[in-house]
Amino acid sequence: MNKHVKISAENVSKEFIQKGTQRVPVLKDISLQVFDQELLVVLGPGQSGKTTLLRIIAGLEKPTQGRITLDGEEIRGPGPDRGLVFQSYMLFPWKTVEANVRLGLEMAQVPKEKHAETVRHYLDLVGLNGFEKYYPHQLSGGMKQRVGIARAFSTQPKVMLMDEPFGQLDAQTRLFMERETERIWLSDKRTTIFITNNIDEALLLGDRIVTLEGKLPGRMKKSYEVNLPRPRDPMDMEFLKLRHTITSEQELTL
Amino acid sequence: MAYQTVKARKSLKLRVLPWLSLTAVILIWQFCVSPPGVNDWRIPGVLLARPYDVLLLGIEKLTDVNPDGATLLVHAWVSLQESLSAFLLSLLVGIPLGLMMGWFGVVRGLFRPVFEMWRPIPPVAWIPLAIFWFGIGMEGKIFIIWLGGMTPCIINAYMGVKTTNPVHIQMARTFGASDWKIFTSICIPSALPMVFGALQIALGNCWTTLVAAELLASDQGLGYLITAGRSIGRTDIVVLGMISLGITGVIISQIIYRIEAKLLAGIRR
Amino acid sequence: MSKSTHDVSNEVVVRTIVRKRLTLRSLVREEKFLYVVSLVVFFTIWHLAATRGNGDSALVTPWATLQGLYDMMSSPLGGETLVGHTWNSLRRVLIGFSIAVCFGIPLGLLLGISETASAILRPLVDVFRPMPPLAWISLSILWFGIGEEPKIFIIFLASFIPSVLNAYNGVRLIEPELYDVVRVMGGSRWDEIKQVVVPASMPAISAGLQLSITSAWMGVLAAELVSSNSGLGYIIILGMQNSDPQMVLGGMVMIAAVAWVLTASMEKIDMMLCPWRREIKGL
Ligand SMILES: Nc1ncnc2c1ncn2[C@@H]1O[C@H](COP(=O)(O)OP(=O)(O)OP(=O)(O)O)[C@@H](O)[C@H]1O
Ligand SMILES: [Mg+2]
Repeated sequence: MNKHVKISAENVSKEFIQKGTQRVPVLKDISLQVFDQELLVVLGPGQSGKTTLLRIIAGLEKPTQGRITLDGEEIRGPGPDRGLVFQSYMLFPWKTVEANVRLGLEMAQVPKEKHAETVRHYLDLVGLNGFEKYYPHQLSGGMKQRVGIARAFSTQPKVMLMDEPFGQLDAQTRLFMERETERIWLSDKRTTIFITNNIDEALLLGDRIVTLEGKLPGRMKKSYEVNLPRPRDPMDMEFLKLRHTITSEQELTL
Repeated sequence: MAYQTVKARKSLKLRVLPWLSLTAVILIWQFCVSPPGVNDWRIPGVLLARPYDVLLLGIEKLTDVNPDGATLLVHAWVSLQESLSAFLLSLLVGIPLGLMMGWFGVVRGLFRPVFEMWRPIPPVAWIPLAIFWFGIGMEGKIFIIWLGGMTPCIINAYMGVKTTNPVHIQMARTFGASDWKIFTSICIPSALPMVFGALQIALGNCWTTLVAAELLASDQGLGYLITAGRSIGRTDIVVLGMISLGITGVIISQIIYRIEAKLLAGIRR
Repeated sequence: MSKSTHDVSNEVVVRTIVRKRLTLRSLVREEKFLYVVSLVVFFTIWHLAATRGNGDSALVTPWATLQGLYDMMSSPLGGETLVGHTWNSLRRVLIGFSIAVCFGIPLGLLLGISETASAILRPLVDVFRPMPPLAWISLSILWFGIGEEPKIFIIFLASFIPSVLNAYNGVRLIEPELYDVVRVMGGSRWDEIKQVVVPASMPAISAGLQLSITSAWMGVLAAELVSSNSGLGYIIILGMQNSDPQMVLGGMVMIAAVAWVLTASMEKIDMMLCPWRREIKGL
């Protein structure tokens, strides 16, 4: 694999001020490298600062210490070179599916003639054609997140950041969406950081899995290479072995 | 876990600006209005009174009955009596009616058409009829203000019952509870938060309607003070009446708010 | 009944459109029947109350009210027919309301968007808010005399505060992550306002319009009651002065009708402004 470093975090720490006066450390000394065309999964339990880490990479929060670079340049704010898929969808309820996806194009000042075509392309990619005119409240959870993914893809970001995108879905839909994610990722191998609290999801998708420690502040724990052929079979012996290793090492800290 | 703490600070600018802007407005008001009897480039005294003069008048009117026939506190007391008794009346009638309309199809069927016809009529439009029926005494005003308070009471009580969690109702049904029992022990408690929500709105409506009622038919009360001030050309009395209306309104709405919070805390316990 | 099926990967969405058939049964549903009973009882009581006594009662029968309404429509009162008076009131409301909305909504949005603007202007809004708009009637007559202006001023005040407050609260209740959606796409502050602030606060703004128009209608009547020589408020106060309950009741019917039309048009506007909202059934 091509080992060009796409994103690199160096000793990133983050503190939040809560209730006006309390300093809550949320991330501590996170150092992380994401390679080009890699699908990196960050696995951590609830409330371990996963969303915060992703928001820092997206440029929505500033780290208290340390820095993050994208292609060698320090990240100073949000930008269309990073697409973010939100944990809770965050679709605009006042826009139709189509208009939600078009949002990024309008912002990136893509010429108007190209909008329709691009929107159709990405809606096809996530399998939502026929639903262009629907409003978000008329869609199921899985479909909403498809819109979220299409929206993030539409501006052709260099990196996709996905924050527990399927956390609110039922097990079946979730598995299906994981397969879809894999399919989409395989189609153009866009560098992706995928956050989850679900170990099977992590093993199914990741080229590499890094784990975050449970209690606040979140720290990097370990990194595992997943060298299994895709599509992966959750009943495969190697899969289960790795699953066992990660679970037992995770449990030590819980 | 104990966290380190930092000092809470809102930026200085944001803390100072509100006071600055209020002071500025009062000062501008003070200096852009001519003192009584003076005629210069400024806004003449017959159009607006200076805040300082209003303040002085307010202090004087605490004891002085001239020129409008009663002290400030008496005017306020009359207004309070009218609006609060009408307010209570609208709670007593509106809330039970709304609750019943929400639960009993018969009550809803019988009252809804009349309610729908009555609802769009602003309470002030009843003033002439009220004067026909009750004269310009207190009853007429209470009637008008009562109409103003009714709408929110009925609507909120109705919606409160309508939005009761159907699962609770079904559960009670499986236990064989009677309609009346479900109404009293499930619908009413679950409607209470919405009913309390109506209190502030109803009170606000009552207070607004009070002004209209007093403007037209009265010889005492804060609304009357405003009219009287205009008819004898005393803008300071007009402004004093307006400010007293505002302040009294805030005070009673605060009291109702406290009571509401207490009651709600009682239910949530 | 028609049926259409979409197949989206593993999720099948079936849309079924059922047309209700109109039968005699569904027409005479219990609730409807009660409505009829209710109206019959109401008008009977009204009629009896009006005919009781010996003619000096301050109430006329529903039938006489209708007749009065018809008479006022056809023969002029104080220079104009009832239609003219209605138009006078309505015109005042529309002018005052439009001005209030044009200033109130942007102001409310500004208060919600900018902390500095909010620090400067909110105290002023908070000071003026508890004062009932009708309390300004005296001052407005002193300032503007007895023409159109004082009425429009009162209507403006009556509809201004609800517009401001609803727009302001609409902005404050916006989910903060929605702004992040725009920001990660590289949107500017202006994009945030255009794409998030305005549409997300639209339901609240629209609810504010509804409150404003109700309040404006009340304001115009009060202003006309106090001093005017045209408009529906003038009609009912004239009826009172002439001891003519027919005129008062006729005026009130018209007032209710206009109020109903105004509310209904605001609901239409709400549907236009917020087409995405699910219908919420209410009273
Ligand atoms: N803007 C903020 N201000 C203050 N505290 C914050 C802020 N954002 C996050 N936090 C705190 O940071 C901690 C970690 O939050 P974060 O959302 O990153 O966790 P998470 O791992 O994504 O959790 P989950 O699995 O529930 O999504 C929480 O305790 C939260 O209260
Ligand atoms: Mg999270």
